[in-house]
Amino acid sequence: MRRILVTGAGTWTGGRLVQHLESRPDVQVRAVDEVEPRLTFTSPFRRVGLDRPELAQHLLDSAPETVVHLFGWDRGDAVGGTRAHEELVVGAQALFGAIGRSDTVRHVIVASDVAVYGSGPRHPSIFTETATDHGGRGRYRRDLLDMEQFVAEIGEHRPAVTFTVLRFAGVFGRNVDSPLSRYLRLATVPTLLGFDPRLQFIDDEDAVAALIHAVDHPVPGTFNIAAPGQLYLSRILRLGRRLPQPLPKRAFEAAVRGLARHDLVLPSHLVDQLRHGIVVDITRMEQDLGFVPQKTTRQAVLAGYGRTEAEATP
Amino acid sequence: MTGSPLERLTKAELLEMARQRGIRGRSRMTKADLVTALGAAPDATPDTPPEEPEPSGRRAALTGRLAAMVDPQRHCTWRSPDGDPCGLPVIRGAASCGLHGGIDCFDVATAVTGRLGFDAWPALLRQLRMASYDCDPIGLDPVVAELVWHLLNFLYFDYFHVEVEGIEHVPLHGPALLVANHGGAALPYDGAMLSLAVANEAERPRRVRVMGTEIFNMLPVVSHLFRKVGGAYASRDDASFLLAAGRLLAVFPEGDRGFQKPLSEAYQVQRFGRGGFITMAEQHSAPVVPVAILGSEEVHPAWWSSRTLARLVRLIWPQQRVETMGVVLNPIPLPVRWRIKFLPAVLPAHPGEHPDPLEMLERTEQIRGTIQDTLDRMIAARTTLF
Repeated sequence: MRRILVTGAGTWTGGRLVQHLESRPDVQVRAVDEVEPRLTFTSPFRRVGLDRPELAQHLLDSAPETVVHLFGWDRGDAVGGTRAHEELVVGAQALFGAIGRSDTVRHVIVASDVAVYGSGPRHPSIFTETATDHGGRGRYRRDLLDMEQFVAEIGEHRPAVTFTVLRFAGVFGRNVDSPLSRYLRLATVPTLLGFDPRLQFIDDEDAVAALIHAVDHPVPGTFNIAAPGQLYLSRILRLGRRLPQPLPKRAFEAAVRGLARHDLVLPSHLVDQLRHGIVVDITRMEQDLGFVPQKTTRQAVLAGYGRTEAEATP
Repeated sequence: MTGSPLERLTKAELLEMARQRGIRGRSRMTKADLVTALGAAPDATPDTPPEEPEPSGRRAALTGRLAAMVDPQRHCTWRSPDGDPCGLPVIRGAASCGLHGGIDCFDVATAVTGRLGFDAWPALLRQLRMASYDCDPIGLDPVVAELVWHLLNFLYFDYFHVEVEGIEHVPLHGPALLVANHGGAALPYDGAMLSLAVANEAERPRRVRVMGTEIFNMLPVVSHLFRKVGGAYASRDDASFLLAAGRLLAVFPEGDRGFQKPLSEAYQVQRFGRGGFITMAEQHSAPVVPVAILGSEEVHPAWWSSRTLARLVRLIWPQQRVETMGVVLNPIPLPVRWRIKFLPAVLPAHPGEHPDPLEMLERTEQIRGTIQDTLDRMIAARTTLF
């Protein structure tokens, strides 16, 4: 019997992962989050704040072999706030501290985000996992860097444990409800006048599949997780039949603030991505991790807009 | 199925036939209307003979090369999610068109309809509207690149009358670097003309990926247009990625030192940066083709180089890093005659290795010297500016 602890099981991706894992006969799943789960599953769920010592105790008590730490990723509007920072950084510290003390944990999967690379005019056009830090705005980016730093530090102390860090591109698809997907689904989409960013996504089911693949294949290292292909924002909105509304910088910032009042907070790292774009290299994902997504970025976008008709490619 | 041979043609081809036969109101007709109108007047003689200008030899060769790449009889079977067909002719010897996998459209410069011209624009704009293809990771958009290629060919053939020598030195396959002198002070016409020279004259027209500074990423509109026509950010990461993918790069190692120099220093090739391009070439075993470009300095002659102007620009725009700026008085580019000379390729000395810094500097200086000598000889041989 393999025991797996999933933190951050409250989101769609977390819940979906738990559903997939618990359907296996030889797996016992424990789920943790500080919000009620969006999806229903039968595995024991414990509602606990990630920055509380209870989490560390819970980890030691449940004695898992595999820990899937999803808490830093796909948290919707909470990203970038003070509370999120507390959970992301302090929670990660507590969790990795507990992993350091545990003798059962063999494999740790940490979900991160391509936001760690930042996005700007002096950034490379395509990021490999080994890209040097070119800086960037946003507290979320710094928090993720801190979290990955903890992973590196604990990895040095516990060479017997395999640490897999997955840096996910923006998740888009039929089911997710992330700020980016909600922004793209607006009827009229405010864009920045004179800028047309290149964007890359991963389908929501593929994101879960990547996590399951990582659970099944413990490969140490950091991997970008994104679908093949990239599209300009203008083409994405064409595919979704959305009307772009190009605005000058000031008006665009005002529109972003306006959206924030209507429960659609675009954190500053996303605003930067909507100006300069972000594309990552997925060679290592395909070759070293061995994961190949089902959908391309185009297909993920079409699915995200509910246009499921398959393209007949020659 | 009526099986009319007219229905197998694309709308652009039908429009061309309608134009030749002088059918009125053709621009507002749908494809079905065009087929009916053309079927009703099958033997109508054209009102006026088609007023095609007599193509120059090079232009005819380009048209022939581009037309030979596609097979107009067969059409791509790609369909959009709404069921709209792609409708473009397939690449000869492949199963699909230039946008949907028939050819590596990020390396080979193709005209997806088989020709460059305004009559190809409706088909191109339709692909843009359908968003039927992906861009390159760096951002090359084959359709936008083709539209710009067509427009800039006016400058290339009719305005600057670019003459090209030694195009056979440009490798037809695999990674390579074009290293050229930089000038112009106002707009980087030399990058555009260099790309067009390879796209228009080479036996296998290739896309040249011009490396530009971060200013291209900051300016509105330019930020994405530069990428869509094939530009990249001049950094090790981008150059490495493109060379590993086997692309043809163009670098101007002088950077803004070369670009902003006054007319009195025209064609004096400045120091070649830190010579990062040699390192790249060695690591990726790519040949370096030195290129001498004559004409770029006189299009917008910079009468003097001003520190004050650069300070003023920096005041409005703190990210701008140039220290001097050329003062240009003519808003319209002068119709200078251009000459581009490609020199024999310099092969990497130790392929796949990291060269030692001194050797790197020597090789950089050697390439700079070659370009300077060629430029001096070209200036001496030049009889007229226009």
